[in-house]
Amino acid sequence: MLEIKDLRVAVDGKEILKGLTLKVGAGEVHAIMGPNGSGKSTLSYVLAGRAGYEVTSGSIRYKGEDLTAMSPDQRSAKGVFLAMQYPVEIPGVTTLTFLKTALNAQRRARGEKEVDAVGVLRLVREKAAALKVPEEMLKRALNVGFSGGEKKRLEILQMSLFQPALAILDETDSGLDIDALKLVAEGVNALCSPERAMLVITHYQRLLNYIVPDRVHVLSAGRIIKEGGKELAHELEAKGYEQIIKDAA
Amino acid sequence: MNAIVLPHRKVEDWKYSDLRGAVDAEAVSRAPTAMWAIGTAQGKLDISDLPRLVPFGAHGVMADIAASLAKAGRFIRIPKGESASIELDLKDGGHGRVVIVVEEGASLIIIEKGASTGFTNIATEIAVGKNACLTHLRAVPLNDMVSVADYAVMVAAGGTYRAHLADLGGKLSRTELHIALEGEGAEAHLSGVFVLNGAHTDITTHVTHASGKTQSTQLFKYVASGHARGVYQGKVTVAKDANGSDSRQTAKGLLLEDRAEIDLKPELEILADDVKCAHGAAIGDLDAESLFYLRSRGIPENEARALLMRAFLGDAVDQIEDETQREAVWKMVDAALAGLT
Repeated sequence: MLEIKDLRVAVDGKEILKGLTLKVGAGEVHAIMGPNGSGKSTLSYVLAGRAGYEVTSGSIRYKGEDLTAMSPDQRSAKGVFLAMQYPVEIPGVTTLTFLKTALNAQRRARGEKEVDAVGVLRLVREKAAALKVPEEMLKRALNVGFSGGEKKRLEILQMSLFQPALAILDETDSGLDIDALKLVAEGVNALCSPERAMLVITHYQRLLNYIVPDRVHVLSAGRIIKEGGKELAHELEAKGYEQIIKDAA
Repeated sequence: MNAIVLPHRKVEDWKYSDLRGAVDAEAVSRAPTAMWAIGTAQGKLDISDLPRLVPFGAHGVMADIAASLAKAGRFIRIPKGESASIELDLKDGGHGRVVIVVEEGASLIIIEKGASTGFTNIATEIAVGKNACLTHLRAVPLNDMVSVADYAVMVAAGGTYRAHLADLGGKLSRTELHIALEGEGAEAHLSGVFVLNGAHTDITTHVTHASGKTQSTQLFKYVASGHARGVYQGKVTVAKDANGSDSRQTAKGLLLEDRAEIDLKPELEILADDVKCAHGAAIGDLDAESLFYLRSRGIPENEARALLMRAFLGDAVDQIEDETQREAVWKMVDAALAGLT
């Protein structure tokens, strides 16, 4: 599904990712854990195709194709989804309008038939109910005045609406209380399938109690320094990043 | 007030009667309105008062030219308590004059349509009576005209004047709104959206709170691309003793290219003590983070840009209460936005 080889990425001329290698297969859930400044968000942005994140060497293959050659919207249409750490507030665009526009843009790019307003509403309502997103929220401007938890739930709602093949969750647990965390994790788990891969990026082990990863990768200073099974997350929690980084050196 | 120049003896026609020497120009400009008293009348007569005309100098300079050069015009009157709507379509260019009187408690909707060709210069005078209401909608498609439209509006106590403009610009388009709120409870609400792809639009407003407890709002949004030029000059005057006046004024611009230009010039002149006045102006580009967010959800760049521009214009278009009219403006605006991206 996703194959990253010796990836180097610079932001404003400063190298952030320094030779990152990672392979995620279909049906797998991988966790990327790392301290602040290790390059976690850079990795998620470069996968989504944000401007200003320059790939200086290495490669990213997604379903055998060169991901870096695609625009952000092309990546989305091909099934790449990034649940953002800080979802953007967009005044003047209602949430429902946004969801409809995005869903149909993706479908159009794939040569699929667009869904009409009634169809979109039915789909969105179904997803919203599962995530306890109130209908009133869908009528408000996108993310404007939403609490941190509401924004994160809307990210997961989008994920469940768009049904991506590769979902990247960037610090989805930050700013969530325990109930919201469970709800979000349930939403993510409901999407796990043999055709789908998930990359869960997180600072804390907490989320991984609910979304159990197949593999855990520790990111430090732009490189993967340690890999293991789900138990590695517990080890990190017990020892702390400093110790693990020291051990790996 | 423009200064009046009186004829004097060095003017050949007045050589033997020096008016300037006989009366002070200042006194002439301040002289009151003379009114005929109607004495005994016989036969079938229709006698009614002329509508209260806007004084010389309250208009912009081009309206004074239109008023003096137009050979005919339209007079529209809505009688007391009645309600009506009217569509106005300007077919031919040139100088023109319109007088509209909305009498006490009456309500009128004016829908101005289309654009003609060449040069137009129209002076419109509007009197909104006590507790009367006038909604003025004007949507101008892209054209290659030079057009000046000047509206001088007087609003009596409890009356409301609403103007909602949408303009895609012309070779040179200038709209002036001179509004006087002349009685307690008088209100003026002005809004406009201008999507300019290489064209020129100038909105110049002057709202005078002549009486206390009056309210005015202004919300104008500009999107400029190519060699476009968008102009907003908005002056609000709160007269001495017009206490309790409330005025809000907002103008914002989206500058899509460096060669486009948007000039926003809000101005406040407050002569009273107890007033609430707020004004703001800002020019920017589309937010890169918002654009990336939308694109990461599969929305192609052009569509994402149009969506953000639509969002930027939204609150100004939404000032139009009538759904049919609002949708008509959106249709025009959407087509213009699609042409920009």
